Amino acid sequence: MDIVYRLIVLYFVIHIVIHLFGRKKFWDQFSAVVVLVLFFLRLFLIK
Amino acid sequence: MSRIVKDWKGNHWTAVGLLALGGLAAVLAGLRFSSMHRLERIDPGPGLTRQGLLSDYFPPLAGTPGDTGVYVFEGQENGGNVLVTGGAHPNEPAGFVASVLLIENLQVKKGRILVIPRANASGFTCNDPQEANPQRFTVETASGPRQFRLGSRLTNPVHQWPDPTLYENPAGQMLSSLEVRNLNRCYPGRPKGYLTEKIAFAIMELIRKEGIDIGIDLHESAPEYPVINAIVFHDASAELAAMAQMSLQFEGLEFRLEASPVNLRGLSHREWGDAAGIKAVLIETPNPVQGRLKGKTTAGLVVDGKDKNYLKAFRLGRLFIPYDEGGVPLSRRVARHIAAITAVLEAQAELEPEKAVEVENLPGWKQILDEGLGPFLR
Repeated sequence: MDIVYRLIVLYFVIHIVIHLFGRKKFWDQFSAVVVLVLFFLRLFLIK
Repeated sequence: MSRIVKDWKGNHWTAVGLLALGGLAAVLAGLRFSSMHRLERIDPGPGLTRQGLLSDYFPPLAGTPGDTGVYVFEGQENGGNVLVTGGAHPNEPAGFVASVLLIENLQVKKGRILVIPRANASGFTCNDPQEANPQRFTVETASGPRQFRLGSRLTNPVHQWPDPTLYENPAGQMLSSLEVRNLNRCYPGRPKGYLTEKIAFAIMELIRKEGIDIGIDLHESAPEYPVINAIVFHDASAELAAMAQMSLQFEGLEFRLEASPVNLRGLSHREWGDAAGIKAVLIETPNPVQGRLKGKTTAGLVVDGKDKNYLKAFRLGRLFIPYDEGGVPLSRRVARHIAAITAVLEAQAELEPEKAVEVENLPGWKQILDEGLGPFLR
């Protein structure tokens, strides 16, 4: 089940990273990174 | 100024820089969260005769986050066998600390006592979401400040996921989704079920294989919850609980007696009695950290139990316990647990002398109140 969970989280991580590089405003990029921090913790099953 | 900040331009380089900062923040937060997986030390006293793991009784649990320590204290004379569990709900610290106090002080003269201080070890590795609970609290001891984990009521979702929409527990009761990770709703467990059900099954196996006669499960509840300062008893342990309550009342400690409802399934005080045929009791003490009326949740609230909202609630007649400016400190709650365990053992000695368990070197409840927890924790 871990792998299913990680794949779901990884899917969202990839989308957020693509979104991050597509933004032209600093604060839009910042917002995306704040969300990414939480997803990193989930990706590595820390939180 | 705000307009300039608002209009900051971003490009690929700022994205890379922010990504690096985000990675750093994730590492720092990750280290902090990972530290919750490190168990705090328990230093058993000289009375310990054997130490094992719960997986010794149910090998499939070995190597999983549900495996946990079992501390065995054996007397010279044959007698009864008693199981004490703390930490079934790791957000109820008095049960856990009382178990640690037992392990570090207990000496058994007759019979045997088995102690599981972290019944749901996985729950100690996380906090309850959205409660803003502190990760740890500190108790002053002779050897300096000693930290303990304040965990979650439930198994860590990292260890058991996903939760079903509705959960039918092993006793056949339909419960809400989250209860699938609540150890005290998963008895008598399932050998091939969820992790929490496997933990429950392993505890049942321990009860069967060790020939346990009495099971004592240590818990806490919110001051506004009616089942509090109570001994919850299975039908088979009604006499034992009543005698223990009388003995506690003689000492000046008020405990309610609550019969385990026959249609409330999956709890220790019901299933330990029904499925394993032992005398099962559950002890409840008040814990403001769990309540809905609390103010700011701090490590101080865990230890001192002082909260002005609860004082106000008491004055309005909304609580089921006496509550004053002194609060309900952890030392008093642990003292109540130790006093209740002692009273149950004394009652057993009167009811079934051949299955008596005699202990020594346990502090009295007044001694803990007077001196605090420090002198009794290493």
